[in-house]
Amino acid sequence: MDCLEFRRRLAAEPQSRAAELLSHRDSCAACRAAWERAHAFERELRDALEVPVPAGLAERVLLAQATGERRHVLRRRRTAFALAASVLVAIGGRLAWRQLDAHSLPALAVAHMPGEIRSLDLTRPIGAPAIKAGFADRGVTLRGPTPADVTYVHDCPVGPYKTVHLVSRVDGMPVAVLYVPGKRVAKASDFHRGSWRGRIVPLDHGALVMLTNRAGTPDFGAVATGWRAAIDGMGTAQATTRGGSEPGPGHLAP
Amino acid sequence: MKRLGPVSLVVNPRQRQFEALTRAHAGDLYRYAYWLCGQDALAQDLVQETLLRAWKSLDALREADAAKPWLLTILRREHARLYERKQMDVVELDEGLAEDAAWASPERHGDAAELREAMSKLPHRYREPLLLQVLGGMSCEEIAVELGQQPGAVMTQLFRARQKLKSILQGGRAEVQHGLP
Repeated sequence: MDCLEFRRRLAAEPQSRAAELLSHRDSCAACRAAWERAHAFERELRDALEVPVPAGLAERVLLAQATGERRHVLRRRRTAFALAASVLVAIGGRLAWRQLDAHSLPALAVAHMPGEIRSLDLTRPIGAPAIKAGFADRGVTLRGPTPADVTYVHDCPVGPYKTVHLVSRVDGMPVAVLYVPGKRVAKASDFHRGSWRGRIVPLDHGALVMLTNRAGTPDFGAVATGWRAAIDGMGTAQATTRGGSEPGPGHLAP
Repeated sequence: MKRLGPVSLVVNPRQRQFEALTRAHAGDLYRYAYWLCGQDALAQDLVQETLLRAWKSLDALREADAAKPWLLTILRREHARLYERKQMDVVELDEGLAEDAAWASPERHGDAAELREAMSKLPHRYREPLLLQVLGGMSCEEIAVELGQQPGAVMTQLFRARQKLKSILQGGRAEVQHGLP
């Protein structure tokens, strides 16, 4: 390394400890003097660049960071809280739905059946007078012919409803029939709960619930047609009531 | 205003690392930022932005020795971003900021004051590598990587930066050329 190269390197990298640089410095008095001057200048330069740092700068940065972080944590907590709340609302909604569903007509009908399960085993038709009497006990006058193969009739409370409980046999399969006077349902619908399958059908002044727990496919349509004709009447047939007035087919007597 | 609860006494390791990083380097970052932008308030903002960005990616920092160059890199990017956003004028102080209010401070005396004034007049292209070397403690190779230049070009810039500084200090006399003084 010559003096020119030494001075160039010295001006560019005064702090360099490169061996060839140090070697030339130690062998050249003029360059050693330049080295000393350069290092003195570097010390001055460094001192000059070290402007005073504003008091509390690090603390202000830490405060900003900690505050931002805490707000971030609070946001996360709020999000978690909202999530938990939505889960609770969902659970609450589900519980409410289950509560509502427990009071639905299918649920009440199925819940009623265990106490009346032996009625499904009856096979002897009970005849039209007994059927009419059963409806009469609920204040309902039949307006049409009673279906054949009705093996059971009883006035049963089902939940809040006062029903006429019947059993119809269709091709040997027993189908429990609950007539709920005054109950309005918008449209026919099928249901399936546990081993019970059923259908709800709207009639003129009440609802008919049919259900069975027997294997096979019950002809709910045929059962409904038979009971609609008996309760609502066939065609232009007029209803008669015990009081002699005509409030309407299958209507509750006053 | 929303009230926050009491600050937890439990400090996690990441938080401790950040606090140590901030206390160790806030000063150097401020000086670097100050000489980069020439404004005290802006320099403080740059330091805060730099450290808050560092906090977000603190997991990327594996070695303590790498902390300072890492932070300087973030600060340079923040500074560049600031110029992009605000279209601020690059402070080429060699066009006459000698009487800038920033220098009318009690520290302005003696050789240090002259050197600071000379430094403030140093063109940006020379000032930045010089700052990385003197304040950042970087080698020519490291500065070259940081600035995306060849090491030889950085060597030349550093050489000229010092020559220019000395020239300013000598009242604008012709710079000392590559030859012997």
